Amino acid sequence: MAEIEIQATAVLDARGLLCPMPIVKIAKAMKGLEPGDVLRVLATDRGSIADVPAWAGSTGNVLLDWHQEGDALVFLLRKGGEG
Amino acid sequence: MADAQKLVIMVTHGPDQPELASIPFSMAGGALASDVEVVMGFQGDGCLLAKKGVADTVAAPGCTPLGQLLPTIQELGGKILVCSPCCLSRGLTLDDLVDGAEIVAAGRFVAEITSATNTLTY
Repeated sequence: MAEIEIQATAVLDARGLLCPMPIVKIAKAMKGLEPGDVLRVLATDRGSIADVPAWAGSTGNVLLDWHQEGDALVFLLRKGGEG
Repeated sequence: MADAQKLVIMVTHGPDQPELASIPFSMAGGALASDVEVVMGFQGDGCLLAKKGVADTVAAPGCTPLGQLLPTIQELGGKILVCSPCCLSRGLTLDDLVDGAEIVAAGRFVAEITSATNTLTY
């Protein structure tokens, strides 16, 4: 996926966490955001490459981009609308 | 959003099998993070995982330690149901179990399973 410039509303550092904690932390962080807000997530669990898109798809949120920065996986998630 | 979903996860392995004891909790966490209701049912040696202090002793390579997963599941609203005859045979009472756990029998398990979207057994 091409790297794109997206301004994040909030940042979540999930580095060092193992399955399923990255998506548990993402879900909690998203509850504090408004629809349209963007959460930037840093993770190191390689399972997140499959887990985060699946989570976004099943919860009505949108994965805008993901890429690797050094040892970290970076995910940009936009909170979906309510309902 | 999709209609409400409910997952029942039956756990039959105890602390002597840390990977099979941990994976159901990981699945529960993933489900709860995805807005899926979770009921965990503990039978056989799985009951031992609901005993106070035991989760803190269980960690499998590559898995989040149970001492972190169990309170996370409860914090997110996952139910902890423990088999009555299995507790009886192991000398466990409600006081021995983690706060929030319930001791239940077959009828409750069946009610939870038949009202669930899916059931997993470990």
